[in-house]
Amino acid sequence: MRWLLSFLLLGLLSVVHAVSSSGNKLLVVLEELADKAKYSKYLADLESRGFKTTIESPKAEKLALFELGERAYEHLLLLPAQSKGLGPNLTPKLLLDFINAGGNILLTLDSAHPTPSGLVSLLLELDIHLPTDRNALVVDHFNFDKLSAAEKHDVVLVPRPDALRPDVKNFFKGDGKGGEVIAFPRGVGQTLGNTSPLLTPILRAPRTAYSYNPKDDVEGVEDPFAVGTQLSLITTMQARNSARFTVIGAAEMLEDAWFDAKVKRSVGMGGVGSDAKEVKTANQAFVKEVTGWTFNEIGVLKVGKIEHHLNEGGAKSNITNPKIYRVKNDVTYNIELSEYSWDHWEPFTPPAGDVVQLEFSMLSPFHRLPLKVATTTKNSTIYTASFKLPDQHGIFNFKVNYKRPFFSNVEEKNTVTVRHFAHDEWPRSWVISGAWPWISGIAVTVTGWVAFVALWLWSKPVPLKLSTSGKKI
Amino acid sequence: MAPKRNAREPTPSSVATTQSSTTAAGSVPIPSKASYKSSSNQSPQQIALGIWQNYLDTTPQRTKLIDVFMAFLVVVGGLQFLYCVIAGNYPFNAFLSGFSATVGQFVLTASLRIQTNAENKADFGEVSPERAFADYVFGSLILHFFCVNFIN
Amino acid sequence: MSDLIEEPFFKGSTGRNTRGVLRLTILCLIAAAAVASRLFSVIRFESIIHEFDPWFNFRATKYLVQHGFYDFWDWFDDRTWHPLGRVTGGTLYPGLMVTSGVIYHALRALTIPVDIRNICVLLAPGFSGLTAYATYLFTNEMTTSPSAGLLAAAFMGIAPGYISRSVAGSYDNEAIAIFLLVFTFFLWIKALKVGSAFWGALCALFYGYMVSAWGGYVFITNLIPLHVFVLVCMGRFSPRVYVAYCTWFAIGTLASMQIPFVGFLPIRSSEHMSALGIFGLLQLVGFVDFIRAGVPSRQFKTLVTGFAVGVFAIALAALVLLTVTGVIAPWTGRFYSLWDTGYAKIHIPIIASVSEHQPTAWPAYFFDLNMLIWLFPAGVYLCFLKLNDEQVFIVVYSILASYFSGVMVRLMLTLTPIVCVSAAMALSYVLDTYLTIKSPAEPTETQVAEAANVSSSKKAGKQEALRSMREPLVGVYSTFSKTSVVSAMTAYLLIFVLHCTWVTSNAYSSPSVVLASRMPDGSQHIIDDYREAYQWLRQNTPEDAKIMSWWDYGYQIGGMADRPTLVDNNTWNNTHIATVGKAMSSREEVSYPIMRQHEVDYVLVVFGGLLGYSGDDINKFLWMVRIAEGIWPDEVKERDFFTDRGEYRVDDGATETMKNSLMYKMSYYNYNSLFPAGQAQDRVRGVKLPDVGPTLNCVEEAFTSENWIIRIYKVKDLDNVGRDHASAASFDRGNKKKKTTKKRGPKVLRVE
Repeated sequence: MRWLLSFLLLGLLSVVHAVSSSGNKLLVVLEELADKAKYSKYLADLESRGFKTTIESPKAEKLALFELGERAYEHLLLLPAQSKGLGPNLTPKLLLDFINAGGNILLTLDSAHPTPSGLVSLLLELDIHLPTDRNALVVDHFNFDKLSAAEKHDVVLVPRPDALRPDVKNFFKGDGKGGEVIAFPRGVGQTLGNTSPLLTPILRAPRTAYSYNPKDDVEGVEDPFAVGTQLSLITTMQARNSARFTVIGAAEMLEDAWFDAKVKRSVGMGGVGSDAKEVKTANQAFVKEVTGWTFNEIGVLKVGKIEHHLNEGGAKSNITNPKIYRVKNDVTYNIELSEYSWDHWEPFTPPAGDVVQLEFSMLSPFHRLPLKVATTTKNSTIYTASFKLPDQHGIFNFKVNYKRPFFSNVEEKNTVTVRHFAHDEWPRSWVISGAWPWISGIAVTVTGWVAFVALWLWSKPVPLKLSTSGKKI
Repeated sequence: MAPKRNAREPTPSSVATTQSSTTAAGSVPIPSKASYKSSSNQSPQQIALGIWQNYLDTTPQRTKLIDVFMAFLVVVGGLQFLYCVIAGNYPFNAFLSGFSATVGQFVLTASLRIQTNAENKADFGEVSPERAFADYVFGSLILHFFCVNFIN
Repeated sequence: MSDLIEEPFFKGSTGRNTRGVLRLTILCLIAAAAVASRLFSVIRFESIIHEFDPWFNFRATKYLVQHGFYDFWDWFDDRTWHPLGRVTGGTLYPGLMVTSGVIYHALRALTIPVDIRNICVLLAPGFSGLTAYATYLFTNEMTTSPSAGLLAAAFMGIAPGYISRSVAGSYDNEAIAIFLLVFTFFLWIKALKVGSAFWGALCALFYGYMVSAWGGYVFITNLIPLHVFVLVCMGRFSPRVYVAYCTWFAIGTLASMQIPFVGFLPIRSSEHMSALGIFGLLQLVGFVDFIRAGVPSRQFKTLVTGFAVGVFAIALAALVLLTVTGVIAPWTGRFYSLWDTGYAKIHIPIIASVSEHQPTAWPAYFFDLNMLIWLFPAGVYLCFLKLNDEQVFIVVYSILASYFSGVMVRLMLTLTPIVCVSAAMALSYVLDTYLTIKSPAEPTETQVAEAANVSSSKKAGKQEALRSMREPLVGVYSTFSKTSVVSAMTAYLLIFVLHCTWVTSNAYSSPSVVLASRMPDGSQHIIDDYREAYQWLRQNTPEDAKIMSWWDYGYQIGGMADRPTLVDNNTWNNTHIATVGKAMSSREEVSYPIMRQHEVDYVLVVFGGLLGYSGDDINKFLWMVRIAEGIWPDEVKERDFFTDRGEYRVDDGATETMKNSLMYKMSYYNYNSLFPAGQAQDRVRGVKLPDVGPTLNCVEEAFTSENWIIRIYKVKDLDNVGRDHASAASFDRGNKKKKTTKKRGPKVLRVE
């Protein structure tokens, strides 16, 4: 049934349009509606991908993230505002509630307009820190655009980001050929707290970049807010409920102007790029990827059906997902995983060097096993693991806890009870050869007893008979 | 053992004593020892034979039957215990039930023997031999049931 | 003697019949009285299961009735001791549940549909009637006076010491176990007197039943061997002893091993070794006896005796050796605490923390037994006067039980039967003496002289000795002395009845699930917070929400709220209980990971501060600390909960550790809001509380009952955006996070 339904739904969706896996209602908050023109290409891109955009001013009365206690939109795009505050409808608390309710937020900052204090405190809650100077921007004297910022060096050119770690999938590498350049004009760099595991930078500043406040007239910067790769240009936070929050340091990246602009990089460290040519920025493609990721168009994992069943002696039991097992049972666990890629679900395969693991745990894991691919369907991969339950009774969990950067969280817990041997499941004593002597001991005793009783009863008349016969004689 | 200890006794008593009987024994230590030794060679056999004869003469046939059965149980129980010592008691419940069946049976049979023994008539005013036998069957059946149940 | 006493009233065979009918009627009336006096709680409150343990028994019985015996036997309970679970079928004494299950099915077969709850509630009173009858039989074996049996039955029926554990609703193992105890003893005495294997086997069967019903069977296991041992030492060995004991031991031990929970204990644990040892000793003695009969040689006999003693010594040494090497389990902690009342406090706080394991206070004896307690020694003294095998039993029993009842409150229960029996013997002796002795019309000189002679030769019975001691005309025979003594005794008996009724209705009939209090106008006010809270849990939480509470409430939560619990009153796993104790007594930041690991959804605490209910968790808190300290001495320290002056305080002067403990916070959270500012008052401890109440970050209040007795907190999930709970809670309260403008020390770089 579920299969049929999901196919049906899938079919319907693909007919309508390519769309995010979590819905298509998008709220764009833009203070001056006139500014809409600046982002026309970007917004057109979004609409072409099936988003139904609502554009509102932060001051609008009817602007509400929640309607009757339910989330009114799936996604929120915050474009930079002129005014200092965002108004009563977009307080940090409401935004946080929006995330907690599963909504995705794409936040853009702009060094030209100071970030509203509400947003600053929201970012602070998420352990994302902005420069203390309101007007600080990222400057790089080695990787700037010669065409537009020859003087100020504030349009930083960055190549496509590498994967965070070798075993993490890179969604933002474009076609992977390299050589593409992203322009990051007049953006605000962020630093990330060290404790939160939920934060991941997508785009980091080059090694030579630093945060600089143009209002400071001092020639050299004594104590910059942050330098080099510590400065994150685009940061993401994926909440535990897989709601996504992305900060793009430079709102100008989304503007039409930078989609089409041609840039020429400066001479970098060690003379890199001395022969640079004018190239078109990769902003449009890159921003599409960042937005697509934020709005659940890529990197979303879905768990299909989870099955576990008894697999005693290779014979599969007909009962799936029983509530109770016995210690030392052989069981098989299956989980179906799919990944969403722009407009369809496809089979999920973890990046090279990574495996999906199954834990069988009570208080602590008793087993931690890699899940192997059993079959692949059109939309999903079925992973499986078979093992013998531990010799410990209790309440256990089949747990798949797959949390990787840029993939939505998979945390599946199926609770089963593992019981002890029932009284009739122990080997009977006649099966155990060691017990035979004692069984025969009992048998001998009992037969001996029966014989004795018989003899006794038989011997009763003997003296009588003797005496009577004696009398007779 | 009895003669041995007697043989040792005279040595200290010969040192200082006023009792007539011991002085008599102590006055002639060496011959007495010899005589005890010679008697010790004979007496156990004699005693055993005497007892045996006494037993054969005085014991009713039924009691003999009981005794045979008890001897049989001792043998069975001893074998089981020996096996346990040699081969280990792996299915412990089996060993327990097997062994205790024999022991219990032995004890019950001993009870029967005591009850039916004419010498103990005074003690068992209310228990006639027939009643004793019925009790015995009752007890044994329960015992067997438990043992078979326990050995699983 | 009985004939002699009864003759004046009833003569001949018709007399015997009348007496029989009378006796039967009296016994029935006693049983009825026994049942009736236990129904106070049902009438006062309702037909409800009481206290703590009965809730588990009730739940187990329901499971048994629902799923049948085999499923019950293999029952793995995944709703207790989360996440360990409990092999319930193998770790309980099934006698009680099986008994009520059998009654239930029997009644249904008779087409009398009775709710299983009512059977459980009324099982204890029902069995108390049977106990009265068993006491009657037991006493009749002890004495020839028929009135003693009836008196003993009556005493047993209404003695508060027994009622305390058998009021309607007190559905505990003791409910049937005391009946079985008395009946097993009766069968034992019978077997011993008759010397019959039949009675011995019956005794063993009931012993088996007793084993299946109550852990206190160990008392029988040790008392009967001790009795036999004393008899042997007194030179009273007879074939009867051999027959009775060996039959009992052989069958009884096997029977007890059929219970899964007991298993191999009878040959493995030290508590059972005395029975085995005596069994061996009897074989030796019996064998020696047999040989002696065959060989009447004096030297031989002494030698064999020496041989027997030697074997006994060797066996004892082997036992010690086996215990040391660990083949036989050493004495358990509970056992040590029987000898040294201070032992448990030092080594096993969990045992000491149970209120019924406390040493008995002296007034409790009078409270529970009233006049019986001073008649008791008299009865024992009478047994000394006429020392037969069975009287030895009374003496041994009374000595042992007196000692044990002094050590543990709950063992008062085993003392009660023997007190009833011997008190009844003493009383009936007095009454027999004064009621039925005919005054001799003319006591002649010769009679007096004769009596004096007889007494000097020390062969006279007590009665004659009494007669001889008193001047016949002014002594026992005078109408005045008769009437005064008899009326005094009657008055005592009446007072006894009054006392028992009073104690039963006032002290032992409270279900403790429901509390009663008096309104100012004298009307009764029911405080039903427990059930209110459990009902809330049942209706508002998911089926598998795990509840953490102190173990006292585990069974009730399981029974009434039907939710899994972490720990309960079956205190088998000290570490698990200590874990809960640690979670309760640590700071929130320490407790939270523990609760996460154990998948706790709700935490339940009992707080009596508003109502003045003294049995609350803050008063039990020190035990939690002690038990936790036993496992984590570095992390939880009892000392930290006392002020510098060694006081245990909850007010302003409380220590920081105390104030930061989860238990303290949960108890007093929001409590200030009930009072005008600065006047929060704890009515149990009678102190004023700090003006600012505690704040809670990782749990949130979910429910508080009407009188604040039960407070339930929900454990928060991890923060969605990765903050710790303190800052998340502070953000929710509207506090802005302080911007870390000035970095102290070197910058912390993020490495990836």
